[in-house]
Amino acid sequence: MSSEPAATGHHAIILVVERDPHIRALEAFFLNEAGFGVEFAFDGVAALQLARAIKPDIIITEVLVPKLDGLALCRAVRKEAELKDTVVLVFSILAAATRAREAGADAFLMKPLAEQRLVQTVRELLAQRRTTRPAPGPP
Amino acid sequence: MSEATAAIERIFRRIGTGNEQADLVLGGGLPANSINIVMGQPGTGKTIFAEQLLFHNASADRPSVYVSTLSEPMSKMVSYVQRFSYFQADKLGTEIQYEDIGPMMSSDGLAALVPWLSQLIKNTSPKIIIIDSFRALHDLASSVPETRRMVADLAGLLSAYDTTALLLGEYTNEDVQRYPEFAVSDSIIQLARQPLGTRDERYLRVLKLRGSSYREGQHAFRITGDGIALYPRLISPRMATSYTPRSDRVSLGVPGLDDMLDGGVWAGTTTLLVGPTGSGKTTVAMHFALEGVARKEPTLYVNFQENPAQLARSFTNLGADLTAAQRAGLEFMYASPVELQIDSIVVGIFERIKGGTIRRVVIDAVGDLITAASDVKRMHDYLYSLVQHFAVSGVTSLLTFESGISSTGNLGSHEQRFSYMSDNVLAISLGGEERTRRTLRVVKTRNSAHDPVVRQLDIGAAGARVS
Repeated sequence: MSSEPAATGHHAIILVVERDPHIRALEAFFLNEAGFGVEFAFDGVAALQLARAIKPDIIITEVLVPKLDGLALCRAVRKEAELKDTVVLVFSILAAATRAREAGADAFLMKPLAEQRLVQTVRELLAQRRTTRPAPGPP
Repeated sequence: MSEATAAIERIFRRIGTGNEQADLVLGGGLPANSINIVMGQPGTGKTIFAEQLLFHNASADRPSVYVSTLSEPMSKMVSYVQRFSYFQADKLGTEIQYEDIGPMMSSDGLAALVPWLSQLIKNTSPKIIIIDSFRALHDLASSVPETRRMVADLAGLLSAYDTTALLLGEYTNEDVQRYPEFAVSDSIIQLARQPLGTRDERYLRVLKLRGSSYREGQHAFRITGDGIALYPRLISPRMATSYTPRSDRVSLGVPGLDDMLDGGVWAGTTTLLVGPTGSGKTTVAMHFALEGVARKEPTLYVNFQENPAQLARSFTNLGADLTAAQRAGLEFMYASPVELQIDSIVVGIFERIKGGTIRRVVIDAVGDLITAASDVKRMHDYLYSLVQHFAVSGVTSLLTFESGISSTGNLGSHEQRFSYMSDNVLAISLGGEERTRRTLRVVKTRNSAHDPVVRQLDIGAAGARVS
């Protein structure tokens, strides 16, 4: 399995915010298969804390997650200077494309999980990120 | 298309069943990413319904999987499917996969199902998953809570992933309340078989379809070499109240009869012709049909009593050049009263008039349809609906109905039930000592004057004539 590079040269890390165990398991499987590293949070507050710690390349979040919903999480991420390069993909059972965009999300996908669509979207978002947010030079 | 619209459209996406008529009943097919139950006793056609859908949805990028559990051996299933025209051998093993989990389920129990399916999804990305029989899995459950946990877990998995599932089972009506899979299902389709005289009639009925309209009621079907041939229950056309009726008159083709009807019947109307056996109803109906083709109005003649050879002889005896009449647009539809399947006949008539070329229809006789019907009320609804379709399509129709022997020309109770759906009612009576004197009376015409006098109807070598 080949690893998918992120903008900074390391392997792209995806933080998945999801409480449904089946979706978590399938997302982990298909994203790992595609070469991404995957971390999980089960609610919005834990996700924000984890994001500060691991600085993921992409956050994939459901809208309906406990404590801090996915849209509020998205707005919070946008306010964090340290997470300004983090891409947010809202992946939800709700038809919330407009609200996701207004909250600052980079993309929206509707459930159910279709792996080709998910992986393709993630790859496109990473490619855009490389174009619009050039990787910093070597330390 | 906006992202939001695309997302909504994805939610309401449909999966075709491979059967155009079933898709019509289901309002476009089964909802995509749904859990569907196909229930029915053994031999009702569940497997055929599912396999038709399976082959229809076969695709190279995402396979469809038929999972056999504890009922029929997989080898038997694969062996039988080859008899049907929808079977495509080249798709087996790639686009369509058959899996037998019976031995695994027997040894590992109910809890083994969801992990196995999860692995199947990871390995093959299935577009369709069919589990046959799902009901049989209940035999493995040690407790009701165990079953409920498994069904909830299964619903979670199947809802999470972009796949459409069919759970097949020999469920009874009582099982719908009893088993938890019915609560989590998005649709329930029931297939049933019920005896009617010396034969059986099969029905499909949609009991549940979440978030979508569908055609309610019983829809008759047959199992053919092409799979399930479904005849959706006919419903009155929605535009029946807003169509523009034709304003021309149509000749019935019997000399003297049009004069009793103020110059003929209005085009697009239905005329009920009532009379006892031997009174000449079929002769009048043949005149009506031949007049149609003579006026370049293609005519469909639906007949249940005389086989095609007998009917051809009757037309010839009337002096008609049958070959020329058929070239000019006379079509026949015949069904033996013994094997009469009313749904297929009525839907068949509807399909023929939907083509738009038929301008006249004869049904000789509606009584045969009623005799063959398992449900007379349903037959009345069908005929009413058909008559509405005739009116909307501008098709002029003549329905014959065999009444009891009466010399008065008054309508009996049976005939009265049909008169409400007819624009015109004509009654033939037999009188005289030998019952050879025929008279004809116009009982009713809508929006038209008519001759109230009882006239003599003569039938001779040249056909019928009113004097």
